[in-house]
Amino acid sequence: MDIVVRALVMFLFVWLVTRAVGRRELSTLEPFDLILLVVIGDLIQQSVTQNDFSVTGGMLAVGTFAAMTVLFSWLAFRFPRVQPVLEGDPVILVERGKTIDRNLRMNRITFEELAAQARLSQIPHVADIEWAVLETSGNISFIPKSGS
Amino acid sequence: MADVPDALTLKVNRDREGKRDVLFRRIALGAILVLLALGLVNLFGQRPSTTTADAPAATLEVHAPERVRGGLYYQARFRIDAITELEKATLVLDPGWGEGITMNTIVPSPLGEASRDGDLAFELGRVPAGEKHVFFLQLQVNPTNVGHRSQNVRLFDGDRLLATVERTVTVFP
Repeated sequence: MDIVVRALVMFLFVWLVTRAVGRRELSTLEPFDLILLVVIGDLIQQSVTQNDFSVTGGMLAVGTFAAMTVLFSWLAFRFPRVQPVLEGDPVILVERGKTIDRNLRMNRITFEELAAQARLSQIPHVADIEWAVLETSGNISFIPKSGS
Repeated sequence: MADVPDALTLKVNRDREGKRDVLFRRIALGAILVLLALGLVNLFGQRPSTTTADAPAATLEVHAPERVRGGLYYQARFRIDAITELEKATLVLDPGWGEGITMNTIVPSPLGEASRDGDLAFELGRVPAGEKHVFFLQLQVNPTNVGHRSQNVRLFDGDRLLATVERTVTVFP
């Protein structure tokens, strides 16, 4: 039983950490972020399974994480008011070529980072962006101005 | 002028009206920082502490953590300073020392081990006046062992109780 409880606690803690850290930090897979994700995974494994090397223990831990993932997904689907709490909301960063500085600041995104992301979407100037939206996944989606 | 993308509204997704996500994030981050601070001040172990009991015949000192976590190794050190000669020094440990805790090594090996009314008795032998006897237990907390239990230590000379050190241990998951 304890392995299920430990997995449950760690799932909720990881959820809390991802919500606290912010979506951008965990969505970019730069070398350091990649290492960080692997290390976090290793630390979680140790605290969940501890000295349990059994297949049963592994199945219980993985099963708990899978069940909690489905539960969170179902809650977000069944109760739309819960979704922003569980997953956050998309945030508009650029509206008709103008940055919304408050939203950039709240999500710790610099203008330079926004411009870099825009370039990756083949948009050379922020002024050419009709809408830029920070999605709940942490990615920024761009809708260019028509004709640009 | 282009419309706002589907499923987005300016009130919610641009102006963030009624949204408390920054506040929530700060609270969550604050909770994590509090957890780290509590860890730094030894709330979750396993910094050892020393407890001493003085008696006319001997002094008993126990040096061990009072807070430990599942799976961790730790050491308990018992020191007896004999003021008068102890003919048959015996340490009697509460069962909490062994409950869900693996005893990896006992150094030096006691002359005898026994159960004394459910407690763990280690017979150490003679300790001359003015000399000390140091006794180590190397322990490991079993991961499923969580909770709070008594770890009192009593020093006997034969059947005569000389000193008692009162301790408790808290095992965190």
